[in-house]
Amino acid sequence: MRPRFVRGAVRVLVFLAAFALVAAACGGGEGDSTASGGECTMAENPAIYLVGYSTPREVYGKIIPAFQSMWKEKHDGQSVTFYESWAGSTTQAQNVINGQRADVVVLSLSSDVEAIREAGLITYDWTKAPDDGMVSTSVVVFDVRPGNPLGLEDFDDLTDPGVEILTPDPAVSGGARWNLVAAYGAAMRGYAGNQEGDEAGATALINGIAKNILTLDKSARDSIQNFESGNGNVAITYENEVKTANEAGLPDEAVYPPSTILIENPAAIVDVNARAGCVMPVAKAFVKFLHSREAKEMYESVGFLRPTDLAEARKGDPANGFPPIHDLWTTADFGGWPALDELLFSIPDGIATKAIAEAAG
Amino acid sequence: MASAAETVERRRGISYRTIARLRHGSLRGIAILYLALMIALPIAALIDKGFERGLTSLREAFAYPGGKEAIILTLQMSALAATVNALFGTMLAYALVRYRFRGRQLLSAIVDLPLAIPTLVTGVMLGVLYGPNTVLGKALASAGIKVVFAKLGILVALCVVTLPFVVRAVQPVLLELDPAEEEAAQTLGASGWTTFRKIVLPAIRPAIAAGALLVFARSLGEFGSVVLVSGNMPFKTLTAPVLITQLASQFKPDQAAAVAAVLFGISFMVVLVTTRLVRTQKGRES
Amino acid sequence: MSDIAVPVAPRDAALRRRRRRLVRAGLLAACLTYLALLLVAPLIGVAWTALEPGWGVVRGTFSHPDVLHAFYLTAIITAITVVVTGFFGVVVAWVLVRQRFLGRGLLNALVDTPFALSPVTVGLACVLLFGRGGWFHEFFAARGIQIVFALPSMVLVTIFIAIPFVIREVQPVLEEIGTEEEDASRTLGASVTQTFFRVTLPNIRWGLLYGVALSTARSMGEIGAVFIVSGLIMGRTETAPLYIWRALEERQTASAYVVALTLAAVSIVILAAIEWFKHKRIREDEA
Repeated sequence: MRPRFVRGAVRVLVFLAAFALVAAACGGGEGDSTASGGECTMAENPAIYLVGYSTPREVYGKIIPAFQSMWKEKHDGQSVTFYESWAGSTTQAQNVINGQRADVVVLSLSSDVEAIREAGLITYDWTKAPDDGMVSTSVVVFDVRPGNPLGLEDFDDLTDPGVEILTPDPAVSGGARWNLVAAYGAAMRGYAGNQEGDEAGATALINGIAKNILTLDKSARDSIQNFESGNGNVAITYENEVKTANEAGLPDEAVYPPSTILIENPAAIVDVNARAGCVMPVAKAFVKFLHSREAKEMYESVGFLRPTDLAEARKGDPANGFPPIHDLWTTADFGGWPALDELLFSIPDGIATKAIAEAAG
Repeated sequence: MASAAETVERRRGISYRTIARLRHGSLRGIAILYLALMIALPIAALIDKGFERGLTSLREAFAYPGGKEAIILTLQMSALAATVNALFGTMLAYALVRYRFRGRQLLSAIVDLPLAIPTLVTGVMLGVLYGPNTVLGKALASAGIKVVFAKLGILVALCVVTLPFVVRAVQPVLLELDPAEEEAAQTLGASGWTTFRKIVLPAIRPAIAAGALLVFARSLGEFGSVVLVSGNMPFKTLTAPVLITQLASQFKPDQAAAVAAVLFGISFMVVLVTTRLVRTQKGRES
Repeated sequence: MSDIAVPVAPRDAALRRRRRRLVRAGLLAACLTYLALLLVAPLIGVAWTALEPGWGVVRGTFSHPDVLHAFYLTAIITAITVVVTGFFGVVVAWVLVRQRFLGRGLLNALVDTPFALSPVTVGLACVLLFGRGGWFHEFFAARGIQIVFALPSMVLVTIFIAIPFVIREVQPVLEEIGTEEEDASRTLGASVTQTFFRVTLPNIRWGLLYGVALSTARSMGEIGAVFIVSGLIMGRTETAPLYIWRALEERQTASAYVVALTLAAVSIVILAAIEWFKHKRIREDEA
């Protein structure tokens, strides 16, 4: 009977609409604190929005629960909810600037945190925190097939014919930039078969590496997964990515070049957001926790932390799987990220940008 | 017997005409507002951002590592997909309409499957079957054919996702065609191919074109399946939609918008031509 | 000069029949191979890869709160989208068919626009409008309402993508049925609402349902636009397709495949609905 069918259908549609709208309204807002005209009352169960880069998500799977139970103990059983987002470092920085709620950011490069500060969302000097604001360190290594069949030892070995390199796309991935800066810096410091200070030689090294790049993935994680699925014969990556892979049972093997860069990853409170969400006390406590001994141990357990002190990092901790590095240096030795970005990655004249474009053409 | 109009007039004292006009007008207003807010507004924002610095943003996007190549690759792959599916789509439509066989309904449903499956799942499906670590993938690789993380993978993904378009465009036209004409030609001694070429093809040509153009337009913007299967390697397998996401997430929203606007311009013209083709077809039939 | 030969003898006719049968077999074989390589085998591959590790993995996946939330989110977004595009779709289709006014052609062209736009572009446009520096950012930010990187933008972009389906399926039906029945109903004294619900709606129901089914499938599968606007907040703005993508990146391939298979299964159900409504619509056409 047509009228009855129609009536029934309309009822179903109206019900669906009402349900959907109610559910959506209820779905948002749980755990969100309110700030009303100056007054700030933290919600009963505050929520922290954590925005991070792609690689450390597993280690935060350990850090966050530890923090949550510590907070619970100290604050009368109050539970804190964490909403996490993990993606490329620069992407995350841009999203936060565009309005993504972030109370704490954990990014790959300090320049990404600086971008957020320049956009006015971080109003304090985040580098005043312990270790200049860095919470995790690692070094650039080569991820090779078991037994290192090609005998790769230093960056210039990567330019040998027949070597197929995997490294992410520097235009898109923070990890890729660490990799190429490591190569350039090592050459400039007199390693990788180059004379110290020889810019032409360092440029030639970058060109040689670019020619051997098999594919440029969109993130450090994508790159190493590509390597693991059988492509290429070496991936330039973070030491901790190799260790994370090993923990997942994969046979990745790390080769440490004699001169490499100390990767330093910052964490900062996005105080404008944290204040608006009335979660400053929690955010502060969390970032403090990230610098704590307990968190450092968790970072180390997945291969994430060399000591943030350069001398200590160079020594490493061979007993626990962190070999010493012959020559370890940081971005500060080359003028920091702004100078390096300009020199290597600016479009179209950056050394690496040109090398990749020429290798592809 | 009073008409509805007179009854209404008597009851409300307003001219029925006015009420009708108000009703029509408010419906039209709702429709216009809906489309303006939901469609015209976003496009305006896009064009505004993409060309706020004139053509500079577009030029910078082309200079982006792999940017120009991505756009060219997307155009090439979309054209290829349109050609491949024009061929197979016509064959499928012909088989579904002219032949009787067991499982015909099932085949028809399978053809429509890409309309229902999420594009990301399509990417997963193709990766599972043709990925570099699978039996099939390794076998093909040893023969020198790389599917996943290569251009072929992009083509396959596009063909899967756009598979139904040509079939569904050609099918109704074939249905309308009187098989008697073909049979007559056959009895007179024309070969199957000649019959097809002289009688069937001219009739379905506009439909094939319309379907192929739809395939092209859709392929230009395809993201979900391609992003998993192509490897997104600049200069090699990076496509325009993925390029747009990269530009958009690297503090270059204006460049992303410029590329997006250009892509949109191309597909929009294609879709316009297609709808005109379809209308001419329908006009010719009536 | 004709290229149709003279009438043929019976022996040649038999040869011709055999050749026709060969052509038919060849054509069917080519079609089936194409479909098998592109659709059937990959689908079976996903099913096998997802279920091969055993039922435990399936159970584990479905007990993960992120997975459940992802399905829930996909369902909510799809439901809202379908209702909104369904309702407004009928209105727009009606206006486009039953009314004549200046700019109708432009409106008609606008309806086709979502087909011509990459979903990625839609997401970008949304961020441009509602993100920092966007035309509407101040308005919502001042009121503490989060649009981008939260549910509202995800719904908005999905609606955009789904707009044409109902409109394009209802339009031709409205054209075909013409205004006779509706006019008759009105002259007999029915009100406009009565006419719509008792005469028009039943007449367009199969077209409408067909469009609704298509837009349901499309909304459920949307990823390009949602990827850009969601912010990828785990357990908050992660739809089922986004979860699959993340799981693949986190090397949790098992649960990725299980969720992918689930989505495939749901889409097959929707496909059945699509085919059913299409069938009814064609039947109605013939009647």
